[in-house]
Parts: sequence; structure tokens; C-alpha cells
Amino acid sequence: MIGVAVPAYDPAAPESATTLPVGTPTTVRSYVRELLRRHRGRFAVLVVFNAVAVIASIVGPYLLGGLVEDLSDGVRDLHLERTAGVFALALVVQTVFTRLMRLRSAMLGEEMLADLREDFLVRSVGLPPGVLERAGTGDLLSRITTDIDRLANAMREAVPQLAIGVVWAGLLLAALTVTAPPLALSVLLALPVLIIGCRWYFKRAPSAYRSEAAGYAAVAAMLAETVDAGRTVEAHRLGARRVALSDTRIAQWTAWERYTLFLRSVLFPVINVTYVTILGAVLMLGGWFVIEGWLTVGQLTTGALLAQMMVDPIGLILRWYDELQVAQVSLARLVGVRDIEPDAGDAEVVPDGRDVRADEVRFGYRAGLDVLHRVSLDVAPGTRLALVGPSGAGKSTLGRLLAGIYAPRTGEVTLGGAELSRMKAEDVRTHVALVNQEHHVFVGSLRDNLLLARTGAEDAELWASLAAVDADGWARNLAEGLDTEVGSGGLALTPAQAQQIALARLVLADPHTLVLDEATSLLDPRAARHLERSLARVLDGRTVVAIAHRLHTAHDADVIAVVEGGRISELGGHDELVAADGAYAALWRSWHG
Amino acid sequence: MQIRDLPYPDPGDPDVRSGPRFLLWLGRNQLRGQLKSMGWGLLHQCSIAGLPPAVGLAVQAVVDRSGSRLAWSGGLIAVLGVLISLGDTMLHRTAVTNWITAAARVQQLLARKTAELGSALTRRVAAGEVVAVSTGDVEKIGWFVEALSRFAAAAAALVLICAGLLLYLPSLGILVTVSVPLLALAVLPLLPRATRRADLQREKAGKATELASDTVAGLRVLRGIGGEELFLGRYRRASQEVREAAVHSARMWSLISAVQVLLPGLLLISLVVYGAMLARDGRIGVGQLVTVYSAATLLLFPLRHFEEIAMAYSFSRPSAQRAVRVLSLHRAARPSTVDAAPTGDLYDPVTGLMAPAGLFTAVVCGNPDEAGRLAERLGGHAQPGAGAGPDSAEGAAEREAPSVLLGGVPLDELPLDSARTAVLVQDKEPVLLSGTLGELLDVPSSGRVTAEDALTAAQCGDVLDSLAQASLATDGDPMTTRITERGRSLSGGQRQRLALARSLVTDPEALVLDEPTSAVDSHTEARVAAGIKTLRQGRTTVAFASSPLLLDLADRVVLVHRGTVVAVGGHRDLLRTEPRYRAVVTRETDEEIAAPAPGCATATIEEIEERA
Repeated sequence: MIGVAVPAYDPAAPESATTLPVGTPTTVRSYVRELLRRHRGRFAVLVVFNAVAVIASIVGPYLLGGLVEDLSDGVRDLHLERTAGVFALALVVQTVFTRLMRLRSAMLGEEMLADLREDFLVRSVGLPPGVLERAGTGDLLSRITTDIDRLANAMREAVPQLAIGVVWAGLLLAALTVTAPPLALSVLLALPVLIIGCRWYFKRAPSAYRSEAAGYAAVAAMLAETVDAGRTVEAHRLGARRVALSDTRIAQWTAWERYTLFLRSVLFPVINVTYVTILGAVLMLGGWFVIEGWLTVGQLTTGALLAQMMVDPIGLILRWYDELQVAQVSLARLVGVRDIEPDAGDAEVVPDGRDVRADEVRFGYRAGLDVLHRVSLDVAPGTRLALVGPSGAGKSTLGRLLAGIYAPRTGEVTLGGAELSRMKAEDVRTHVALVNQEHHVFVGSLRDNLLLARTGAEDAELWASLAAVDADGWARNLAEGLDTEVGSGGLALTPAQAQQIALARLVLADPHTLVLDEATSLLDPRAARHLERSLARVLDGRTVVAIAHRLHTAHDADVIAVVEGGRISELGGHDELVAADGAYAALWRSWHG
Repeated sequence: MQIRDLPYPDPGDPDVRSGPRFLLWLGRNQLRGQLKSMGWGLLHQCSIAGLPPAVGLAVQAVVDRSGSRLAWSGGLIAVLGVLISLGDTMLHRTAVTNWITAAARVQQLLARKTAELGSALTRRVAAGEVVAVSTGDVEKIGWFVEALSRFAAAAAALVLICAGLLLYLPSLGILVTVSVPLLALAVLPLLPRATRRADLQREKAGKATELASDTVAGLRVLRGIGGEELFLGRYRRASQEVREAAVHSARMWSLISAVQVLLPGLLLISLVVYGAMLARDGRIGVGQLVTVYSAATLLLFPLRHFEEIAMAYSFSRPSAQRAVRVLSLHRAARPSTVDAAPTGDLYDPVTGLMAPAGLFTAVVCGNPDEAGRLAERLGGHAQPGAGAGPDSAEGAAEREAPSVLLGGVPLDELPLDSARTAVLVQDKEPVLLSGTLGELLDVPSSGRVTAEDALTAAQCGDVLDSLAQASLATDGDPMTTRITERGRSLSGGQRQRLALARSLVTDPEALVLDEPTSAVDSHTEARVAAGIKTLRQGRTTVAFASSPLLLDLADRVVLVHRGTVVAVGGHRDLLRTEPRYRAVVTRETDEEIAAPAPGCATATIEEIEERA
């Protein structure tokens, strides 16, 4: 067999710095232990059922061995009725317990899988908002889809089947040893080949399968993107390039297929040779022992048939061990979320009043690279503050600090004298809410989409919140009212309607301070204007920090802060700043014409 | 075809008349591979079938106390061992090769089809459907293709083994031969129910995954406002439903395994009892009894292939059907009558919109949907609108409308590629294709505009900075940094400016931009607009916009109202003279107009326009 080199390009290699941690082997091990402990009762039942089924399956070879013994001794009275009866009884037991074992193993696997995916979502949902802001949701998303899928097979089948395989092989070996102790030696004869072969294989296989799977996923992702970007691809005449790129992806993927095929081309002969060696050795050694008179021919027959039965558990163990290796990586990614420190908020820190203050705040996303430099700001209750400035100046970052999502590196951000970064996220959001471009409509009923802001709200309150944002008109026209399914797969809402739902949630959550980050900037201008009227009603009476895109937002504000290069360069009312004739005034003139 | 030679230089022209015909076409195209795989499979099965006689020989040799015959049977087992290894490995290699080549071929066909259909695709079939074919269906088709040769080999081997047994030991052989069809077919009636349950389970699992990913996608909203418990509860319920469906499905599968234990067991009991009687009477040897018993246990392996092929076919037929549905789509092509690279004024006879050659024209349109449709028309070869089928009156009307002219040449009469070369329409939601920044900007272009110039004009400095920070390499070169899928790690404004830079690099004869700066902040917007104007000096540019910062820089501004051009002029002139223009463009006047109507805060633009 000519070897195949490891392909040069690895599709599973990370393409950008991972943002969320991946579990260490210790974390993964302790998680697996915990999972097994939680289900040890079911495991025990599974092992018992399995053992009964295997023992019943050994009865056949024993009976045949006895018959061969009697026949070769020339015994005339074979008690065939009794043999048939015992065999039939064993068969019934084997049938029933095989069924029970299969069922129990599926139930166990499904329960572990359900535990795992629910655990993961519980953990994800508890992540500190700062971590989410920084990492984005893409990485989490791929973990909950791709990794859970990959683990499904492992949990559903690999773990229970491995348990079955190990018990099965052990029992067969034990039966062989009990039947004819010397024959167990023949198994030892085959072991070195198996061990060396498997070590070679398992050293290479897991990462190769990971790359193979990633390569295949890249082929599909490529196509999905071409479909998704159909208009862009056509407008820029990228069709031919997309085809060429897709062929490249296919070449990269199949290179890994070829490599793993090579790995299996080594493993398969190893398994086959092991199996034939065991069978051959049992027959040759056993035959010699019988001729020497150390064994009976019946023992030999039983032994040979048992050796022949070994092929099943050996195949089972190798097949699922393989799967488990691949799944381990996915498990590490899922368990990694547990390594993130949960929100260490202090429930004792309670604000007194509604003053929002930033005091000498410095902040950076990377060590040694500050985005904000000694920013101080005081927002009195009920004031509207607009942050304006060029992209990348730090407006959004400042907004997130004021909303308590990030903690300042030095200095402090306080609400009513209480430090936001020391409060629990669940407490902060009862006071301050951040509204950004992301107006996600969840899959589910319209009611669920609103209820999240105030669980336990009556339908009347929900309708009132919709009315407050001018959304009750279209909502009342929905055939199923609040029960209408919305979100992907349900009724498609326009971006403006989605934004109205986001605003209605704010009405329900009722925080006294709002940070608006370009909340309406992705909407087309006409819809945006309509929404701004709804927004105006929501904002009424609250403290508002608006990261302004459009100058009219700034015009309407009580105070405008111009942020440039991580510092506040101008601060004051609209007329004041226009009169001061600085950067803001220049911009205003070109806008207003 | 070997795996190392993939991808195919040309995946061929598939038979898309029906699902089964497509499968047949795939099979015909890899006939050699199928035959090879079948040959190795036959070797594998037959050499496994050789083991029982060898075991029987060995036992008989021991019964007869013959050391030399024992050694001979040992040698036979060794030879069989080599053949089994060879057959098994080569069967696996050839069968997997069939799988991979078939899967690669279908993926290549899909890639070519999607590229050919371009913007027409999403309107004809749901985008999700195409992706589903690529992710799920290709595997099922591949499975069937792979299982086919293994099944053929197993079936042939079964016939050979039964024939061999009949010759070797007619008395017991007949018992085995009669039972084989029964064993092969016994579980088939159970399979449809089992697969239905498995389908149900998959469907529920898909829903749960969707729910989970939806929850994660909106996690920032949940963490910011609350309601985590509500969504966790929903997911827990969905997850438990998946578990129940899976257990329900496992009940059926465990029943099938039980049947697979019971029936062969009954055959074994009959063999043992009947064989022992024959052996007692001296009509067969003890070794022969062991041979037949051993052969019967090994028969189970080829028998499993009967179930597999039945399942593989039942799964792959609908998959092939779906693949055919996608692959049989065609873009309705208009016959092209001229092929030229026209230059000159861009003119739409329907609205009367005129964009003079070499100037920067801004178009203001009260209705954003209308603006989108008009922008698409300007590129020529417009597809009938979404929702309007090709047969509907609206679709027909749109197709019969006179074509947009570039330098007097109707764009619809040009071949698609020439039309797209002449006019580039950047729609409202341009997609950033994944890849590095360098790859993103590497598009077919005139070659006159460098990536640096385009990035500078589109004010992408801050994007370059944040890309450099995310870069894996130590040098932090933004051009080699990957942009995450659809540019999700960038803000809306950053994405928009990158897309603009890409269009500027292309440098087409006429560039049509639909709201190119809607998500860009005012500070930057003025600079972007100036950048476009400088870079496109002497080239025809049309921008649909409503921001004064951009309109102020345009050479001429056109107001389109209800499908026709109603005013043309400079931004400042139109502000003064055209109330409808003021209503759309500036907010202040909007409020001034709305002010006389108290209690009418929610008046729509149309109403305002009516009054104006």
C-alpha cells in the first residue's frame, strides 16, 4: 500500500482568532464523569441486559460443542429434544434481551444528548453581556448547530454501543477461558498486531476526520453563499469564479477523503488479520491440544465458534471508538462555554437615583490599546444626550460602557452612585437598556416575542405596548393575533415591524435609561421616520443616550457630545455648538444646506 | 475516476427528467467503479464463506486425529485471511470512491447551476432548498451509489454460497437455501415504519436546532432585556420532544434487531437438531455439521445488505427528486441581437430618467421599493418581480417594457455578461462574499482603479484597522485577513463601505448605487460621497439616495415620483423650488408641512405629498 501524505490545506484550522474558549482535557473529562455519574443507574441496567443477551448467545456454541463431543464419542442417545428446548429457551431470552438492550441504549443515549444540549443552552443564556458583545454570536451559533449535530451520533450511539462492545468482548473472552483455558492464549497471540495497528490509526484519525468534515462543510457553505449572494454574484460577474472556487473546495475536501481512506486501508487489514489470527490460532492450538489429549473436541468446537463470534464486538468497539474520537473535539467546544466566568455581579449594589456618570474612564479591547481616553460625562435624569462623531471614534464603545456591558479599565461608570460593572446583569437591565441595530424577531408567537420583556404580562399589557409604538394596527389584522407565529419560518415581518416589536419590548421592560446605538440606521429613510415617531413616544420621560447617525437626532437632543479619537471634543446644546463654529457646526451646515 | 483526479473537469450534462433517471445517469457514469467494487465485494464475501469449510475441516481432522490435515486447514485459513483482508479493504476503497466521485459530481453540478441562475435562483426555488440538496441530499444519493455495488456483491455471494452448500451437503443445504429468502425479506415490512419514525425524529431535531440557534442568534436581545427562562423552557420542551421521538423510533429499530436475532436463531436450532440426527445416523460427518452451522451464522452478514439497499433507495429517491428539481431549472434567456460594449448616456424610457455620460446623477425617489426596482431596471435583463410569477400580468408587463438604453443600445438585447460589464447595479443589500479582504476586492474590473484607491474613496480606514486587529498573522495585514461570513463581525456601516469599495474597483462604464451610504454616519457620509465623485470623475454614476450630504455633491439631481421623472436640477435649487423634493429629503420641512395638521403625527409621506 502506497502511503498518502497528509493534505497541505487543513479546512479545520481556525480562520480567525477564536473568541470563546475551548474546554481543556481536564474540563472535558470532569464533564464526562459528571454525565456518567448522572446516568449510572441506566448504565448498570444496560450492562446487565447486555450481559444476559451475550450469555444467551453463547448457549448455541456450547450445545453444538456438546453434540460434537457426543457424536465423535459415538453416543447414540443425544437427548435432542432437551438440546432443542434449551437452545430455543436461550434464543427467546437472547431475542428479548437484545431488544431491551437496544431500546435501553437508545434511551440512555438520548437522555445524555438531551442533557448535553440543554446544559449548553443554559450556559450560553447565562453568559455575561460583555462576553457576547465582544465575541458576537457566530461562534456560539456554530457550536449549537454543528457541534451538537456531531455529538448527537456519539451520544446516541457511540457511548452505549462502546459499553455494549466492551461487555460483549469481555464475556466472550471469559467464556472462551472458562471453556478451554489454554485457548485464551490464542487471543493473546493476535493482540500485538491489533494494538500496534490501532495506535498508528488512532494517532492520525481524529484530526483527519475533523478536517474531512470541515472540508465537506466548506463545500456546502460555498454553495449556500453563492445562492444567498445570487444578485451580487451576477452583478459582479463572479459566476465563473464561484464555480472555480467551488471546484477548489471540492479538491480540498476530497484530498482529505483520500487521506482518511488511506488510514482505513491500513486499519481494515489489521482488524481482519486479528480476527482470522484468533480463529486460526484457536483451531490450530486447540487441535494440537485435542490430539495431545489435553482438550476435548467439544471444547474445541465451542471455542472455535466463540472465536468466530468475536468479530462482532471487535468491529463495534473500533467503529464507535472512532466516532468518539471525532466527537471529543466538539465536546471540548461545547464544554468550553463552561470555562467562561459567569457574571460576578453583587446583588447588594443598588443604585440610588438615576444619574448616569462616567468618571475618567479609560477602556480598550486589547491590552495597551485604549479606545477611550479619560472620558468623563454626566447625564442628568431625563436628559437626551447625543453622541456624534466619525466611525471608529469610540461612540459605540462609550455607549456600551454607559449601559454597563463593559467595565472600564480605569475610572468608573455609575448609575445613581452604584458602579454598573459591580451590579448583576439581571439588575442592570431593569434600569438601563441598550437598543442596537439588531432587532431580532424570535421564532415563535408574537406573544412570546413580547413576553420576554415582562414575563407574566397580561395580553392587555401586550396590546398596550404595541399600541404605544403604532404597531397595533397591523398586529390586530393578523388572523391569529398574538398567537401568530413570526420569525424565520413563520410570518415574515418587515424590518420596520421588527423594529416596532423591539420598541414594544422596551415599553414593557420599562427601563428608565436607554442607550440607542444607531437603532434605526439600517432601515430605509422613509420607514425610519415613521419609526422615529414611535420611538419618540417610547423615549418620553426617560434618560436617553443616542449614538447618532443622522444629524436630526443630534438636533433634537438636549446635549450633544462630539466624540473624536476616543475623547469628547465638543459638548453642549445644538445652538451652542453651532455658534461655537467647531467640527459639529461644519457638519451641520453641509447637512442642512 | 480516482479520488485524486477530482474535481471533474466537466461534471457532464445530467438526466434530470426524474429522480430515478438521475440516479441511473450517475450509475452509468461510474459503471467501471461499480463493477470493480462488485468484483472485490464478491471476493470478500466468498472468502468469508470459505471459513466455515476450513473450520469444519479442522474439526474433522481433530476428530480423526490427523495432524497433517489440521495443518492443511490452518494453511487454508491463513490464505482465506489474506483474501478476506484484501477483498474487504479493496471493496471499501472502491465503494467509497464511488460515493465520493458521485457526491463531488453532484456538488459540481449544483455549483454550476447556481452560478448560471444567479439572481434568478432565489425567486424560483427557496434558497434553503438548494442548500438542503447540497448538505443532506448529496449524502443520501452517495450512500445509495455506494451501497449498490456492495449489495450486488452480497446477493451474488449468497447465491454462490447456497449453491455451494447444496452441492456440499444437499440435506442441510436445502434447509439453508429455503430459509435465506425468508431471512432476507422478513424485516422489510418493518422498514417503512421505522424510516417514517426516523424521519419524524429528524424533523423534530431540526426544529429544536432551529429553536436553539434562533435563541442564540437573539441572545444579545435576551441578555439585554430578559426572558431567558421563557426561551429555555421552550427549548427544553422541544429537546424533550426530540428525545421522545428518538425513543419512539428506537422501539421500532430494536424490534428489527430482535427479529434479526430470532429468525436466524430458529434456523440454527433446526440445523443443529436435524444435523445431529443425520450425523448420529452416520449420513454426514461431524465436521460437516460444524461447517453448515458456521456457514449459517456467517450468512447473516450478506443478508444485512438487503435491508441496507432497501433503506438507501427509499432515502435517496426523494433526495434525487429534490436534486433534479434544482438541476432542471433554467434561466429564461432573451435572445441577444447585438454584442457591443456601448458607452454614452444611460436612459430609461419608462420613467424618463436620464443619466448623462460622465456625470454623477443622484436620484431621489419617495418610495424605496420603487427605487429598488428602478435601480434593477437600469442594469437591464431585470427578472420579473418577486411574487409575480412568469405568467402573471405584472411579470409579462415588466418583460414587455422597453429596455433601458446605454448610448442608444438596448441593454436587454445584449448578452447578459456584456450588459453586466457595461452597467453595474449595486443593490440595497450587497453581500460580502467570504474570503480575505484581498479576495473580496479581486473582482472582474477595468483595472484602472486600485484596491487602495477604492478603499480610500469609500473611507474604509477604520475597517482596515479592525481587520488588522482580528488578523491571525503577526504582520496584521488587513488584505490577507479573512472577513467573517457575510461580514458579521463588522458594523452595518463598515459592511456598506466595503461593498462600495468593491463596486468602485470594478469601475464599470455606468455604476448604479442604491442607497450606498444609508448606514454610514453623517461625518463619514460626506467624505464617502466626495470620494465617489472624485474617483468616478468622467464616468457615469447614478446614486439613489435621500441624504442631503450626498445629494449636495451630485452633478444633477432627479426626482422620481410615482414612476416618472418630475424634476431635475441641483440639490439646492430643488430644495428651494420643489416642495415634493423637500418633503422627501429634509426632515425639517417635513415637520413644517405636517405641523398645520394637528393630531396627524402619523401621517404618511403620501399624505404629505398629496397636500404639497
